[in-house]
Amino acid sequence: MAQMWITMGPQHPMTHGLWTLRVKVDGETVVDTDAELGYIHRGVEKIAEARDFTQITPYCDRLCYVSAMTWANSYIYAAEDLLEVDVPERAEYIRLISAECQRLASHLMWLGAYGPDIGSLTLMTWCMRDREMFLDLLQELGGSRMHYNYPRVGGVKRDIPVGFADRLIAKVKLFEKRIEEYEMMLDESTIWLVRLQGVGYAKAEDMVNAGVSGPNIRAAGVNYDVRWAHPYSVYDQVDWEPAVEKPTSVKGADCYDRYRVRMEEMRQSCRMILDAIEKIPGGKNTNYASGDAMILAKAPTRAPEGATGFSHYECTRGASQFYIKGGGDGRGKNPYRLSIRSPMFITIPYVAKTMIGYKVADIPAIMGSFDPCIGETDR
Amino acid sequence: MGMRVTNEQAETAAAACVASVMDRYGGADVVATVEHHSNDFKMPFVRIHAPPQHWVALAKTLRFDLGANYCSMVTGTHFPDGGEDRGWDVVYHLMRQPVTNQKPHTNTVHVAEKLTGNDIPLEFEVIITLPQTDVPSVPSVQSIWVGADWNEKETWDLVGIKFEGHENMHRVLNPHDSPEGFHPLQKQHKIRYHDFNEMYDDAQGFGRKPTDEGRVK
Repeated sequence: MAQMWITMGPQHPMTHGLWTLRVKVDGETVVDTDAELGYIHRGVEKIAEARDFTQITPYCDRLCYVSAMTWANSYIYAAEDLLEVDVPERAEYIRLISAECQRLASHLMWLGAYGPDIGSLTLMTWCMRDREMFLDLLQELGGSRMHYNYPRVGGVKRDIPVGFADRLIAKVKLFEKRIEEYEMMLDESTIWLVRLQGVGYAKAEDMVNAGVSGPNIRAAGVNYDVRWAHPYSVYDQVDWEPAVEKPTSVKGADCYDRYRVRMEEMRQSCRMILDAIEKIPGGKNTNYASGDAMILAKAPTRAPEGATGFSHYECTRGASQFYIKGGGDGRGKNPYRLSIRSPMFITIPYVAKTMIGYKVADIPAIMGSFDPCIGETDR
Repeated sequence: MGMRVTNEQAETAAAACVASVMDRYGGADVVATVEHHSNDFKMPFVRIHAPPQHWVALAKTLRFDLGANYCSMVTGTHFPDGGEDRGWDVVYHLMRQPVTNQKPHTNTVHVAEKLTGNDIPLEFEVIITLPQTDVPSVPSVQSIWVGADWNEKETWDLVGIKFEGHENMHRVLNPHDSPEGFHPLQKQHKIRYHDFNEMYDDAQGFGRKPTDEGRVK
């Protein structure tokens, strides 16, 4: 049969953003693929060279509009490495809680978008309902629903409000029950199983070699996680363990394993939040003034030439990294070069190649299971 | 309680890697040291300065003998004022991750404190400095790490470092029809209001003019 190229995207619902997947098909079978990125390249790395270290945080929020808090934190850890700042422990706990709330919100957004990919439109409304709880909590911290600009070099912008802890605990406990509802609805749903099982296999070693990270690796049966392998924040002090799946085939993890590992990760995030809010130094119901030494350490604003800062961070979609060279404009007030490593930029070309051999109808299921986000991909 | 790789473990692993690299490449201008991050945990990592001609051999050693199985980031930087010897540098960030293929219905649950030898996660930073030149070039390691492929594409696209031997090099973030030789992260390209004082002085934008004329674009 004659082969032909089909262009999926940039407006196709499968893309979860703006990018183009060019697919070469032989009948219904995919025989070659090609990813085209860069539709929303904003040049954040260049813009950052003309901003000082505090001004860069809002740009990092906007790298991924679904998980702004983790990206801002990721940048802040690199800036703190560069400027040699020690962060107060209370601030680290607040960051951990905010990042895990963001992880829940982001995974819910993923599940909500993945449902319609598969054909379950109900899922979107359920997930949006629950995501709202965590957006409300994050809004209490950062003042806005999506882009918080919350972490600061040396701590956080403000302390948790009075009553936040109670609302947090109530919502997380409610959500723990809701996870079971999702599992009851999806785990053994025939449509879900038929569309997800046996599709989109990816082996652990292949993925590591290709630079894929995060939940996608853990779905393939290894509990590698930046949070313990390259420790930051206070993850060693709270109660949790990395989510990990047992793939059912020698071919590696399929879409169903990747769905399962994200559900388990949400459960671990809940566990972490509930433990951290009880252990927070200074007490969960106290509210320190902005700029108090409990939540914000004094930080220098200039970095000398030759200094470098680097951070690993377990973002919701994998390991993000920032690399900053000091000594830019304004006698070191700006970075000379800021480099961003986005997990999805590496993952999308890899996933495009794993689709070869499957049917055209499997493309949304495979692509969606890796949780693409184009904001961070194109930067 | 959560777990984490301890500083002692990482210290041991880093020292072993530095010794191994220096043993093989010490005579060839390759310098490996153990450095420490200055935030949080003061975790050690391996920093290697390598000349471009030894990079591929060194990369193979790192990948196949020292277990750096993950090429996470490639950063190119332009130093127009860096002097004769330092016009550009390319930094490869590599990771060692204890990840292996699994048999069906099994998984590997590592306990961080019990990892030893080449299983200890470790970070490598390889710095390749290039002299002042119009055509900076570094050998490609696309064939050693699949993950280096798109990282190198991006670095060429944005910074203009040429990767010798890289197959299928093309624009990834800039449009495909960008002019040849246009690499926006090179320092001769200024964004408007590059000087932050200029930006604050004209916060309302009244002084804003179409000043692109005459600028290098």
